[in-house]
Amino acid sequence: MTAQSSNFGSTVWQMTLMGLRYLNGRRLRTALTTVAIVFGVAMIFAINLALPSMQEAFQQTITSFTGADLSVTSVSGESFPPAAVLEQISSVDQVKAVTGILHRQFSLPTLGESSLGDTTQIDLVGVDPASMENVHQFVISDGRFLEPGDSGKAVLPAGIAELAPQLGVGTTFPLITAGGLKFYTVVGLLAEQGDLAAPEIYVSLADAQAAFNQPGLINTVEVLLEPGANREAAAADIQQAVGAGFTLDQGSNDSNTLAAMQVGFAMFDVLGMLALFLGAFLIFNTFRTVVVERRHDLGMLRAVGATRRQITLLIVIESLIQGLIGTAIGLLIGYLMAQGMISVINVYATDFFHRGSLSLQFSLSGLLGAAAIGLATALIAGYWPARAAGKTAPLEALRPATPANIQRAARWSLIVGIGIMLLAVLLLLTGNQGAAGGAVLFLMGMVVTAPALVIPVARLISPLLSFGFAREGDIARSNLVRQPGRAAITASTLMIGLATLVMIAAMVLSFASLINSLADVNFSSDLILLPQSIAVYDNVIGADENLANRVRALPEVQDVGTMRYASAATADGQALQVMGIDPNEYSKVASFTVNEGSPDAAFAALGSGRNALFTAIALSTVGLKVGDDFMLQTAEGPQTYHVAGIANDLFTFKIAAIFISQTNLAADFHKTEDIMLMINLAPDADKQAALVDIQTILTDYPQFTAHLTGEYRDELANVTSGALILMYGLAFLILIPAALGLLNTLTINVLERTREIGVVRAVGGSRTQVRRVVTAEALLLGIFGAAMGVLAGVAMSYGFIAAFGTVGWEMPYFFPVAGIIAAVIVGVLLALFAAVLPARNAARLDIIRALQYE
Amino acid sequence: MSIVHTESLTKVYGDVSQPIPAVRDVNLTVEEGEFLAIMGPSGSGKSTLLYMLGGLDKPTSGKVWLRDSELSALNDDALSRMRRTEFGFVFQFFNLIPVLTAQENVAIPLILDGVPRARALKQADDALARVGLADRTMHRPTELSGGQQQRVALARALVTTPAVILADEPTGNLDSRSSDDVVQMLRRAVDEWKQTLVLVTHDSRVAAFADRIIFLKDGKIVDDNRLKGRGNADQIREQLSKMVLS
Ligand SMILES: Nc1ncnc2c1ncn2[C@@H]1O[C@H](COP(=O)(O)OP(=O)(O)O)[C@@H](O)[C@H]1O
Ligand SMILES: [Mg+2]
Repeated sequence: MTAQSSNFGSTVWQMTLMGLRYLNGRRLRTALTTVAIVFGVAMIFAINLALPSMQEAFQQTITSFTGADLSVTSVSGESFPPAAVLEQISSVDQVKAVTGILHRQFSLPTLGESSLGDTTQIDLVGVDPASMENVHQFVISDGRFLEPGDSGKAVLPAGIAELAPQLGVGTTFPLITAGGLKFYTVVGLLAEQGDLAAPEIYVSLADAQAAFNQPGLINTVEVLLEPGANREAAAADIQQAVGAGFTLDQGSNDSNTLAAMQVGFAMFDVLGMLALFLGAFLIFNTFRTVVVERRHDLGMLRAVGATRRQITLLIVIESLIQGLIGTAIGLLIGYLMAQGMISVINVYATDFFHRGSLSLQFSLSGLLGAAAIGLATALIAGYWPARAAGKTAPLEALRPATPANIQRAARWSLIVGIGIMLLAVLLLLTGNQGAAGGAVLFLMGMVVTAPALVIPVARLISPLLSFGFAREGDIARSNLVRQPGRAAITASTLMIGLATLVMIAAMVLSFASLINSLADVNFSSDLILLPQSIAVYDNVIGADENLANRVRALPEVQDVGTMRYASAATADGQALQVMGIDPNEYSKVASFTVNEGSPDAAFAALGSGRNALFTAIALSTVGLKVGDDFMLQTAEGPQTYHVAGIANDLFTFKIAAIFISQTNLAADFHKTEDIMLMINLAPDADKQAALVDIQTILTDYPQFTAHLTGEYRDELANVTSGALILMYGLAFLILIPAALGLLNTLTINVLERTREIGVVRAVGGSRTQVRRVVTAEALLLGIFGAAMGVLAGVAMSYGFIAAFGTVGWEMPYFFPVAGIIAAVIVGVLLALFAAVLPARNAARLDIIRALQYE
Repeated sequence: MSIVHTESLTKVYGDVSQPIPAVRDVNLTVEEGEFLAIMGPSGSGKSTLLYMLGGLDKPTSGKVWLRDSELSALNDDALSRMRRTEFGFVFQFFNLIPVLTAQENVAIPLILDGVPRARALKQADDALARVGLADRTMHRPTELSGGQQQRVALARALVTTPAVILADEPTGNLDSRSSDDVVQMLRRAVDEWKQTLVLVTHDSRVAAFADRIIFLKDGKIVDDNRLKGRGNADQIREQLSKMVLS
């Protein structure tokens, strides 16, 4: 008989069968080991699914609704006077017709019966009927299209009937505008279905300009080319004609919001990776156990002719099977998690962003990526024990286990590990972005050093045990140090879990402090009027000056400060949100946190010239520093602004935003809409009465809601603490694999010592004593892991918080005392919990059979 | 014709400061088609010698030939191939892989050698039929008695028609009835299926079935007897006890 390498498949198939049966015989352990893979893959897949769906939703480009050949918008996304641009574009060869429109997509407050039914957001499009008809002919199914001179008239897509069946030609409906609630009469229905996520409602240009408080302005030019025109060439010519302040066929996008969300999602990704890291440890540990347990089988396979490679293959296949199972379940759970995330975000989307509903989009690359990471983890973690298994001597099947020899802790692990940790500390102390790297490096250093620490640490902490455990503590210690490598891995697994806990505790403290100091500056007024969404303002309809004036006129009101908004871009196209405030009024009702100087100086700077205050994120994304001058693409073309300082508040600290004066906002961006109002009352005014008065005014401006500032702040704090509890939940999930690691190691330790335990029992050791030895062992591991976890957790939290601080946030580092105490308690409890089963098994060993066990 | 041959075969365990010589300077020739029993008191080096003959253990010095191949010259892969094609093993304990059926356990050397699974299983069925277990092919080891398990192990040794079958106390763990079954099966392997068999035992009743018995003491061959016809167990036992006392 000769080796037929051609029939490799036969061997692989047999090994797969064997692997499946081994796993099946150890279902509980298989399930437990697989959990970490499931968890990690699920997290990563969920993020990979949810993020692109969100991206899609937030980057909807506003395409040409009118079916024109080209559309032109300003780079800033803001409105502009039509005359010059229309003139420039018409004069281009091959351009047949142009028309200017003003449109905005925005969400609707619920107005009851008379509103637009189930429609949650609309795209209000103001058109000039005369020139529009040159560019696009609408097909009307009922009534007529708009005609020159129409006012208060609207044309809707036929599909609106699905959302608001009561609307038909001749009916009227109310719509929020910057000037208050306005009624429109439906004069026609378009034959097309329309985009039901945000139906287009056509009104006259003048009506739209009134609704947005932008008289005389448009924000899009629609272009019809000559028949047979070369689109590329024409586009180039148009671009040339209008200059760099305009862009063709490109809608705005909410890259700022998206960036803010990405920060949050990155956190999930990190947790997913940590879980997989733990999963790898767990698989590694489990398969080391498996190799010891199965040494008879493996030895026998070697004796009957299996090569080393074949044995390695057997174990690798087995870990791959686990990887496959874990990955498959993980993908499934990840999909459900993504769906959950999307629906949670949808809840927020209606409450805060008014984006309408997102739908989950399946992503093959996301699936393949997550699957590959899961499988690779299993493969890599299984490979080393598999290689060790390959080295099993054939004789191991035949000889009783030789007593495990005490492996001397490798000295180099100490040297290398400490080296890595020193480097990590250096990185941490730099306090910049490298600090996050230092945090991870520190964790790795701990993992490397762990084997060398087992013996000294065990010696150090075993006296602690002498209180409850007397002699058993010493036995436990000597049991543990027999396999320092195994003890080290177990403790390292626990360390990662507990370090995550400590880190999250510290981050929560830091963030809470940051949020709190930011909230202080935003919520110092008595009352606050909020738009449909905070954080995203380009789909909001604010109010013209009438609202502020009416509020100001109330007898109990003392000061009113407002916030205005425009979008802009830097010279190289980086989007910026521009917040407009009146420094005199705003400083009476709210403030900023400033990194240098005082808020007063910051307000003073906004009082003159083209000065801008940057949020920390904005400054780092555009790569400027305080004192620089820079070019801003405004609705009035490029303008030079001066970076006057860094200022953050709760609404903007996560996004790339700048603050300028309302004077400049009106001049450069044509925006005078108030999107948020903060109100201070006279010292003796009744807050509730004032609130009622303001709510009466707001019946004309249903896009706003009035809140007592303090109450709103508390409400927000509740939402935030909900999110923080979720973070703690994740930390606890990560502890599951750590507990499994402990369980594994204790089980294998008991198995390996079966005969020894038999001897102890035979010479008179009691069940209780045997149980206590195992429990003491677990405690040693638990305390060791907790100590390392606390150390690594402090380093990691310090590093990550320092890294966050480099974006310019004032994130104080709080030593996470509560987190540390929690980590130690959790570590010890986990250890005790993991010891229950192995301890009981050890105590219940039948003496005779234990003595015969080989 | 000689099939296995050793030259000054020596195995020393332990380290230089405390050497434990297990096999000392053994020169042995096993003839093709021969049933050789190795006897000796516990700790005399029987197992060690057998393992070295089968390439399971490496000699400290000296050489083992299987026909023209010198085992210590082979690398691990070649030695593994040798074990699954040229040697068949039966041990006292842990012979079978618990998660495999009797049929798969027997087929394992073939499958490891790359024989297509269906063919390997077919051959395994034949081998199991030869040891009288045709109706037990789909049973797991735990569902078989000790004697049946050892017969499965024998079937596994037979399935590759190896050059030599090496058995280390195959009956050491069995009651006398099962033991008789297994020994008779071993005898048949030599007589009917023309196998060469080297068997380690300290049971003279088992050794009595052999064609030739060598006695080991302190790792050295102290006697080498060719039996004429069926050996006399009492006589063998007497010889063994004399040796232990001397
Ligand atoms: N792995 C080993 N390490 C050290 N000494 C061993 C080892 N294996 C066997 N020995 C010693 O070698 C000698 C021969 O053992 P063995 O071949 O098992 O004898 P037998 O099979 O005749 O009982 C004994 O003294 C035994 O203690
Ligand atoms: Mg022996």
